[in-house]
Amino acid sequence: MIDRVIAIRNRTGLHTRPAAMLVKVASRFRSEFFIRKETFEINGKSIIGVMTLAAEQGAILHLRFDGPDEEEAATAVTSLIERGFDEE
Amino acid sequence: MKIDKSRETRKKSITVGFLYETTKDRFKLRSLNGENGFENIIKDKNLNRPGLALAGYLSLFTHDRVQMIGNTEVHYLQSLSPEQRSQAFGRIIGYTMPCIILTNGNRLADELMQAASAKNIPIFGTPFETTKISYFLADFLDDQFSPQVVLHGSLVDVYGVGVLLTGRSGIGKSEIALDLVERGHRLVADDVVMVTRKGEAILMGAGTDLVKHFMEIRGLGLLDVRSMFGIRAIRYQKRVEVIIELEEWKLDEEYTRTGLDDQIVTILDVEMPMVKLPIFPGKNVTVIAEVIALNYLLKHYGYDAAKEFAKRLEGMIGQKKKENRAINYFEHDFE
Repeated sequence: MIDRVIAIRNRTGLHTRPAAMLVKVASRFRSEFFIRKETFEINGKSIIGVMTLAAEQGAILHLRFDGPDEEEAATAVTSLIERGFDEE
Repeated sequence: MKIDKSRETRKKSITVGFLYETTKDRFKLRSLNGENGFENIIKDKNLNRPGLALAGYLSLFTHDRVQMIGNTEVHYLQSLSPEQRSQAFGRIIGYTMPCIILTNGNRLADELMQAASAKNIPIFGTPFETTKISYFLADFLDDQFSPQVVLHGSLVDVYGVGVLLTGRSGIGKSEIALDLVERGHRLVADDVVMVTRKGEAILMGAGTDLVKHFMEIRGLGLLDVRSMFGIRAIRYQKRVEVIIELEEWKLDEEYTRTGLDDQIVTILDVEMPMVKLPIFPGKNVTVIAEVIALNYLLKHYGYDAAKEFAKRLEGMIGQKKKENRAINYFEHDFE
């Protein structure tokens, strides 16, 4: 199991398009993936779940990966968030 | 879905005889000089009123179009002396033309009729006014000369929306079509769908004459949907509005998760919305097809669920709200 803590960087926050990108990247891996914001935790492969976070710029997300390819999944997802979803 | 441009066809020409035989009842056409020139060719979907040509202005005279002679032309000819009249009429029939249509129940003088017959130009009469018959004829010719393509798929009217199911052979298009029929929707064509462009941006679909509403179900063979389910289960033509492309679920293929990015497929130069639908055992594709049709209707009437959701989310981001629950406090209400 891998835990990561990461802040949302892009200015507009985790709105619909970044949420869709996040879910698509996460769905490529077999590992389970959960995102927690404060006390609210959702499945990171569910688009509705990710959008429900309504994570703004600067929001702190706790990512949890669990499964055979957790390393790769964690790298792919954190890199996407760090790149600010290639928005700027 | 890729549609090979080379599969598109378009009629280059029709004969005057074909025009007459196919439309005489609808357009109340009567042949006034026998079957003279029925083999003449119509290549242009446009019509022409030869008023200026009769008056002597012959440059740019589009003589190879169907010629419409209405009240104006007839009155003009009547105003001339017999010699001038023959001369004016002779000027235009000196050119090759497919046929002449006399509107408003008008008649031409006998010597003009004979002159046209001698040049093998058929003359048809109709009781309709020029504007009306022009509209009918232009629509008919537009249809005859419009581009066509034959597609492999099933076309079903789902809640009034023309849904074309495509996908590789054996993926279950016919089975889904049958299931839709069973749920009260109407089959237009299965397996072979002839798609014709109407105007600039409308695609009309129909079956072939032979197949009509027969379909093949693997393991059963040929079925006749009309005899089996009755008249409510079929229709002859339907505008194609949504394309559903069925395919096996692939792990590495990306499917839309929000529905914000509209996918488009171009058929006969018309852009159609397309839904790429991954299927797997246990998935009820019929219900999803119904939902696609309903969502198309919603969008058509101005409500896009994906956009609506995105808007709500944008309003929510940045709001420092602790609670996510839709209900703040469950009072003594158990509904």
